[in-house]
Amino acid sequence: MSNSQPQPSSVPILKRTLVFGFLYAAAIAVIGGGVAWLSVGAIGALSVVIGAVMAAVFLGITALSILIAIKYDIVAFFAIVLGAWLLKFVVFLILAVALRDQPWINTTSLFLALIAGVIGSLVVDVVVVMKTRMPYISDPNG
Amino acid sequence: MDATSVLAEINGNIATVGYGLAAIGPAIGVGIVVGKTIESVARQPELAGRLQVLMYLGIAFTEALAFIGIATYFIFTK
Repeated sequence: MSNSQPQPSSVPILKRTLVFGFLYAAAIAVIGGGVAWLSVGAIGALSVVIGAVMAAVFLGITALSILIAIKYDIVAFFAIVLGAWLLKFVVFLILAVALRDQPWINTTSLFLALIAGVIGSLVVDVVVVMKTRMPYISDPNG
Repeated sequence: MDATSVLAEINGNIATVGYGLAAIGPAIGVGIVVGKTIESVARQPELAGRLQVLMYLGIAFTEALAFIGIATYFIFTK
């Protein structure tokens, strides 16, 4: 057996979810930003863009952490995945508190964009996983 | 003595308690998802790749709940 470890079957799927998640966030930023610009003004558009970026980054961290952790053994794998999860929520809370009272932020637009981004990217993830072919048994070394 | 003065006095923002309540669900959810994945990988290591994807979906759905829980607080408290 060669020394090179075959990549697990989850890698291409996780990469696809990352790419499509970011594309979806870009769509939210453009469309939502346009709607917010018309209804609230430039502050609303900026808030929607920030909300969409936050949704994409914070949801992308899960997939990214799995992609990074896949190279390590099972203990390190779960430590990295769950550690990234915990850290992400701490950073999210700090960002939310810091952004809330800024004069250049429209809180409602920001958090509505965030919720739209989170729910939409779940749909994107499920569709990507359903549409991608995944071999049933793929990891000879486990 | 007035009825309210008999009760223990609580200071601070009630939203903090709300966040605590909102954290319980995702915490249990992620615990179950990850615990079951560890169990499954231990039983069938050759399915690790497939299980990681399912775990990812499970975590994504669970964390969405937490994100929405935190975000609604910021929408409703202006």
